[in-house]
Amino acid sequence: MIKHLFKLIWNKKKQNFLLITEILVSFMVIFAVFTLVVNYYQHYKQPMGFESDRVWVINYQSDVNIKDKDSLDVYYKTILGNIKAMPQVQEASFASSNVPFSANTHMNNVDYKKTHVNRVNYYTAGDTYDKVLGMKVTEGRWFGKQDDAATVRPMIINRTLRQQLFGSGKALGEKVGDDNSNKMVIIGVVEDVKAKGDYQEGGFAMYKRIDTSSNDGRGRILVKVNTNADAAFESRLYKLMASNANNSGIEIEHLTDKRKTINSTTLIPMIILLIVACFLIINVALGLFGVLWYNINKRKGEIGLRRAIGASGNSVSWQLVTESMILATLSLIIGAFFAVQFPLLNVFDLPASVYLVAILLSVIFIYLLVLVCSLYPGKQASAILPAVALHEE
Amino acid sequence: MIKLNNIQKVYRTDTIETLALNGINLEIAEGEFLSIMGPSGCGKSTLLNIMGLLDEPSKGDISIAGQTTDRFNDKQLAKFRNQKLGFIFQSYHLIGDLQVIDNVELPLLYRDTTAKERRRLATEALEKVGLSNRLKHFPKQLSGGQRQRVAIARAIVGNPQIILADEPTGNLDSAMGNEIMEILLQLNRNDGTTIVMVTHDENMAQKTHSLVRLFDGSQVQ
Repeated sequence: MIKHLFKLIWNKKKQNFLLITEILVSFMVIFAVFTLVVNYYQHYKQPMGFESDRVWVINYQSDVNIKDKDSLDVYYKTILGNIKAMPQVQEASFASSNVPFSANTHMNNVDYKKTHVNRVNYYTAGDTYDKVLGMKVTEGRWFGKQDDAATVRPMIINRTLRQQLFGSGKALGEKVGDDNSNKMVIIGVVEDVKAKGDYQEGGFAMYKRIDTSSNDGRGRILVKVNTNADAAFESRLYKLMASNANNSGIEIEHLTDKRKTINSTTLIPMIILLIVACFLIINVALGLFGVLWYNINKRKGEIGLRRAIGASGNSVSWQLVTESMILATLSLIIGAFFAVQFPLLNVFDLPASVYLVAILLSVIFIYLLVLVCSLYPGKQASAILPAVALHEE
Repeated sequence: MIKLNNIQKVYRTDTIETLALNGINLEIAEGEFLSIMGPSGCGKSTLLNIMGLLDEPSKGDISIAGQTTDRFNDKQLAKFRNQKLGFIFQSYHLIGDLQVIDNVELPLLYRDTTAKERRRLATEALEKVGLSNRLKHFPKQLSGGQRQRVAIARAIVGNPQIILADEPTGNLDSAMGNEIMEILLQLNRNDGTTIVMVTHDENMAQKTHSLVRLFDGSQVQ
């Protein structure tokens, strides 16, 4: 029977062309949506790599006009010391402006022997940055006093960059270079940090130690506060910063709020795409339903004949549903051919598993959609009285 | 072979009740070729549909090939039609998107037969009606007479005991009508197939064993 239905569909290819195209277009749109959703979900499943609860970010203007390096060092240490001295503060650290969940991004390239890695996020961090954020050091150590006298600048990298540069080989003590051919020695490896929110991957990351005698690479102070840190404390912290930093560009933000904001920024385009896709699916569903309904009315004579020569109501219904599913299969074969090109050609640099799962989900979705849209017309077809159908024809 | 006992068929709408058949009693023997005649709207096709289990009578009993069919469910009815009955229609009812051979194979699709067996039986049926050279043609490439012969091949491919023909020559000129009638007579003569034929043509009816005339839903002869 399946072969018979294939033959029937093939012989009606001109009539079926539009329906196949409609299902194909739907598949491609659904594939795009599922790719996005699967990609976000896979990132969402990954651990954050740090804790954002009770971490506040102090924004300040890092352009203090102190020429002497030692004086500048003292100036910054005093600010940090004053903050740490507050009873509600557990820990504090200087950081560059690309703190987690900020819109700022600093990128660099990293070279190790013949391996060149592009688009590496680089962060400038203080000696207690890892403690403030609860980051996990998996190899080596974080920055410390012992790095003051380092002849080669120390660097910490994340797990993904470590894997890319060294694979299973040794990372600690290895020297790598950046865009400016500055050599840096790796002293530690940390777990990946999802700095751009729950739905974005950590990517490659490297951490450089803040130069305590320079204004460069500053702009933020991360503060881990106690549970009793309230609005009154926030006000006191603000006043302390205003008096110490002696400028008016101070702003205090909470990482948890920034996390919500950046997650919304990521999700909104997906939600818009989902809404558009929903409208499209509704249109396709109505279109499919209409075409199938029209086909049934057009094929009443054939249905009557099939009933007369031995088809039961259920087998007529099954036939129409199966025909729809075969049409969907033809569309999906073409659609899958195009969709498979994405992982093969590494389009958008996403893992192949994202595309493959998206293809699988899209196929299931389209089959379900076509099944749902053809069930009712199929049921109606089974209710057609053969005598009436044959007479009408 | 077919026994109709006090068959009544009433079509009801919200406002009108139409008596299509009124107390039809009929007994058709095995191997008999029966014609049903009557003016348009007298209930000929309704009677044929009831005999073919395509429609249910409002009242009365039907027995076909020794089986009472009034308690059959839809699946049983379909199986019974497939195995015992063959249908020929005035407008052929061929599926335009299928080749001749595939049209003839149709009833066998609802049986447990292999593709090879279906092809063999369909080819044999087409040979019987003289269309073995038109297997790969589509219905639109055939004349009216050829189409009706394809329909006859489709009706006999499953080797049914009964053929129900609803004005099989109605759309054909006299020469082609005679050809079709000759095929039906041969089927009846050679294979012993019981045939019930609705016709408007007195000449065709005269060639059959017996004749039933209907008028306003009642049997008048």
